[in-house]
Amino acid sequence: MKKLIIITGLILPTLLFGQLDRSIRPTPAKAPTINIKDSEVFTTANGITVILSENHKLPRVSFALSMGSDPRIEGAKAGMSDMSGSLILSGTTNRTKDQLDNEKDYIGASIDASKSSISLSCLTKHMDKGLTLMSDVLMNANFPESEFERIKKQNESGLLSAKSDPGTMAQNAESKVNFPNHPYGEVMTEATLANITREDVVNYYKSTFTPKGSYLVIVGDITKAQATKLVEQYFSSWAGIEPYKMESGDGQFNKGNRVIFVKKPGAVQSVVQVSFPMKIRTGEPNQLPLNVLNGILGGGGFGTRLMQNLREDKAYTYGCYSSLNVTEDGSWMSIGGNFRNDITDSAITQILFEVDNIANGFVKDDELNLTKSSMAGGFARSLESPQTIARFALNIIKNNLAKDYYQTYLKRLEAINKEDVLTMAQTYLTAKNCNIVVVGNEEIVERLKQFDADGKIEFLDAYGEEMKEVKKADITKEELITKYVLAVTQTTSMKAAQKKMKKIKSYEEKTDLSMSQVPFPLKSTKVWVSPSTEAQKLEGQGMVFQKSFFDGTAGSSTNMQTGKKDLTAEEIASKKKAFGLFPEMNYSTSGMTYEIVGIETLNNSDVYVLKLNDGSTESFDYYDTKTFMKLKSLSINKDGEEVTESSSLFSDYKEVNGLLFPHTVTISMGEMGFTGNVTSIVVNGKIDLSIYK
Amino acid sequence: MKKIIVTGILAFVALATQAQKKIEYVEYDLPNGIHVIIHEEHATPIVAVSILYHVGSKNEIAERTGFAHFFEHLLFEGSANIGRGEYSELVEKNGGTLNANTSQDRTYYYEILPSNQLELGLWLESERLLHAKVDNTGIETQRSVVKEEKRQRVDNQPYASFITEMFKRMFTVHPYNWVPIGSMEHLDAAQEEDYVNFYKTFYVPSNATLSIAGDLNVDETKKWIEKYFASMPKGQAINLLRDFENLSDDDFFKRYSVAKSKFDAKDFMNSKSPEAKRLIGMYSNKAIEIPRPQKDSEKLTGIIKDVVYDNIQLPAIFMGYKFPAQTHPDTYALEMMNEVLSGGTSSRINKTIVEKKEMATFAFSFNYGLEDAGVGIMAAIAAQGINLDDIQKEFDLQIEMMKNELISQEEFEKVRNQFENNLVSSNSSIAGVAENLADNHVYYGSASRVNNQLENYMKVTREDIQRVAKLYFTQDARVILHYLPKEK
Repeated sequence: MKKLIIITGLILPTLLFGQLDRSIRPTPAKAPTINIKDSEVFTTANGITVILSENHKLPRVSFALSMGSDPRIEGAKAGMSDMSGSLILSGTTNRTKDQLDNEKDYIGASIDASKSSISLSCLTKHMDKGLTLMSDVLMNANFPESEFERIKKQNESGLLSAKSDPGTMAQNAESKVNFPNHPYGEVMTEATLANITREDVVNYYKSTFTPKGSYLVIVGDITKAQATKLVEQYFSSWAGIEPYKMESGDGQFNKGNRVIFVKKPGAVQSVVQVSFPMKIRTGEPNQLPLNVLNGILGGGGFGTRLMQNLREDKAYTYGCYSSLNVTEDGSWMSIGGNFRNDITDSAITQILFEVDNIANGFVKDDELNLTKSSMAGGFARSLESPQTIARFALNIIKNNLAKDYYQTYLKRLEAINKEDVLTMAQTYLTAKNCNIVVVGNEEIVERLKQFDADGKIEFLDAYGEEMKEVKKADITKEELITKYVLAVTQTTSMKAAQKKMKKIKSYEEKTDLSMSQVPFPLKSTKVWVSPSTEAQKLEGQGMVFQKSFFDGTAGSSTNMQTGKKDLTAEEIASKKKAFGLFPEMNYSTSGMTYEIVGIETLNNSDVYVLKLNDGSTESFDYYDTKTFMKLKSLSINKDGEEVTESSSLFSDYKEVNGLLFPHTVTISMGEMGFTGNVTSIVVNGKIDLSIYK
Repeated sequence: MKKIIVTGILAFVALATQAQKKIEYVEYDLPNGIHVIIHEEHATPIVAVSILYHVGSKNEIAERTGFAHFFEHLLFEGSANIGRGEYSELVEKNGGTLNANTSQDRTYYYEILPSNQLELGLWLESERLLHAKVDNTGIETQRSVVKEEKRQRVDNQPYASFITEMFKRMFTVHPYNWVPIGSMEHLDAAQEEDYVNFYKTFYVPSNATLSIAGDLNVDETKKWIEKYFASMPKGQAINLLRDFENLSDDDFFKRYSVAKSKFDAKDFMNSKSPEAKRLIGMYSNKAIEIPRPQKDSEKLTGIIKDVVYDNIQLPAIFMGYKFPAQTHPDTYALEMMNEVLSGGTSSRINKTIVEKKEMATFAFSFNYGLEDAGVGIMAAIAAQGINLDDIQKEFDLQIEMMKNELISQEEFEKVRNQFENNLVSSNSSIAGVAENLADNHVYYGSASRVNNQLENYMKVTREDIQRVAKLYFTQDARVILHYLPKEK
């Protein structure tokens, strides 16, 4: 081993650095110049622009094909293009999905697809096989019906959790208000998802995945001769229509600030996002100095102005950031964070102050230099990935940038001074024409009026759709309960309902629950024994995860992880307020606090909203104004500072022994979503209560 | 006849290595024992600066486990010239990133910086080696950080203790008996003096490999290495200097019978007084003995079967076999065998135990290769109502097949393709290259192994795979652990 040591190392003169003062920190050498090799560009007869960036460092190659169509407005079918993208790799007319996966794995390749691209990455020696698969997918994807249904279901559960996530809610509202009538302002909802058919997806694919105007970026260990030959071999037979073209516009600019509120019942924290569109597109000269400005304002790290003010100085939040989004189809800036209810208004004041303030004077040298160095470092490190080089090459062609645009990136960055940053702030930033989106507890709304130019706050729902104002209910809470009871018991008077219910001695309901996060089926069993005994268990994989029991006066709950616990006095008091097979029948005597809030819409139906409080938990029940069936139940669980929401959607009401029960229940708890199918309901059967204790 | 065979093999090797580009580098030793490896590559204007210290949990004593990993944390606390918390600040401010990791065999620190900051990276690492802050303030801070890490990564992770449980039974003599995270009680019980001694023993030039890769000029890099690293005292003289910097006048005199004032604080190694010269000369010639355990030679003599209760919902089985040390030539065949069993969704274990028979929600096998020994592990998390013994039977069936039949030609090709792909990717970043070079130097005695790794795998035949299966899957000598949910 010693023999291997290179001699030159040993004979290097041992310099006398005896006087080395280690406390002196090395200063950086001259900033390196970036070596981004020029790319070869050529076009094919069927209209593909091929960008070749040779890189022979490793024997790998990647082919990234992106389409030339502009994004489109999907309106009532919002989400269609994303659905299409996630289905492209589901099989072709020549290969099933399994075959495709196997053949791809055999050569150790990866193939990915999105709504407007397909890419392949593999070792150079396997590129022929890889391209065979990639071009098969490109030209012959066949979108099997079964896969379409599977992906649609996946999206449904995705929407379910998105609806209770305040971050997504804020995002939806922000895109809608900044970009109305623009592809960026499109948000998938249950309704638009339901509208999407397999034909839509196929048509989208056919009209978007078309050679004209597309870009094929080839990066890696391949020569121009090889690339030319392969492109001819695998892509020359690709045919299609003209790409879709549409100028999207810059978004909607406000006159004066708008406050947009999205209700999140029971929230203790608000999500605040202050945003505005900007007239700038990828590659314009102002993009880089704008990035520097964003870095100083709140683009990352602890040293930014927003962090220093709102976190370090005022302790309003754990983090407050600004993000700058400059794209080919529209640009915007968004500033925000999570803030406690009581300081939400103060936080907005400070955010607006910082946006205004940075346009009022020069930034300090320190902040400018820190931001520039960390940007330079990040840029340099990003170059190690061949994918970055590919993105650069594509940007240059697509946006008509100077050939050496990225070559000179660091130089241009270095040259940016305080004056430039100030000019950017004054040109693009506005503290007076913003969209201020707040997702939070309705109790803070009044204090937000001060920020709205006309003092009228707009209300949007979880998807950013206009929220219909809560209408006053046309019946009393007692009337609502009566109508509901008559509906589920299928009787015409309370007397008849009570008589019917007297004959009901017990109830057992079994439900199969499926959940994307859990790979095995779960089963839930609920029982009730007249008058006020109830029990429940949740099991799967041969194990009982949870069970609970309550006999009207006492009970217990058992959890696999934490063991068995007796119900506390508080829990017993709460349970006593909601006893019975239909607890509504007992509200007037059980001590439940309840009031009718008004009429809202739920999935295109008008619903009465009944607010309940059992002494420890606040919840909301939603009853159809026409059928009086309960469609939804939402409860807000508070554990100290933490608030979680769980909701159940009831549908598919069917008759069992003369009573109506929902047979499909969709449950969402925080991030988790379950779909439950009731498999059996037995009324007046024998019930063994011991297994629940 | 013979000639043809030789050329045949050569052609085969040439073909096989086609995908791997040669990594060029220079390497040399500094007089104080630091091994230097430099790889020059200008593709991207960044450099990776790393030091591998050949100390891991296997160098700890049984009463002080967790030390090596603890140092990985402690040595970000600062140095004589770097303030507390300033390490990461300096790196980030200058456009870089940094991190470190610890195994049973080594502790590894690195920075990735813009190439014009190479000197900064070298200075930062030289400060860590020469005179890092090892004091009670830092020790207290990092104790709580490490405890939090253990809670997060080990205690709160279902099944995460299986390595600990497996190694405890597999190695009763060798210090692989414990794992890097070690014992929090040991860390609590240790005194500042214990930590200082660990630093003085293992964080010394002769135990360090400085590996640098990226957009650099070799000659200029060597000059900076001379400046910051070659200037460090050799042998025990480094600890004399550390004591000079850290001890009070009295304590220093008590230890060395020479007053601190006899030394030149600005130019310690060139102190003029005869007493100082004598001490420096004496300690420079006194080599530092780095304690290393004997290679593992313990044989498993039977089947060790145990039950571990954990905070889990589904039972699981973990089986362990003694495999050879990672430097053993059979390792290549063993790793390829594992790929057949468990590499990707189309592998044997996944196809049978998970997909077709639905006995497990998750099952895999892998080779835990280390410097002094290896452990072959097979594991499965049971599906609903499946008995762990039945899973074991299925594993045993797979093992028998591996022993009794050659793998198919198609499987063989797939595995070769997968290895080739993995190896190519492993050198795609300069940080990866710096680490591979250092690892190969320290464990295999030659950094040049990075250039023939693929060749080593491609030499493996289907017969080799069958042979190592027969040799190492000792059904009458293994550890079998059943993980069961804790009783509530």
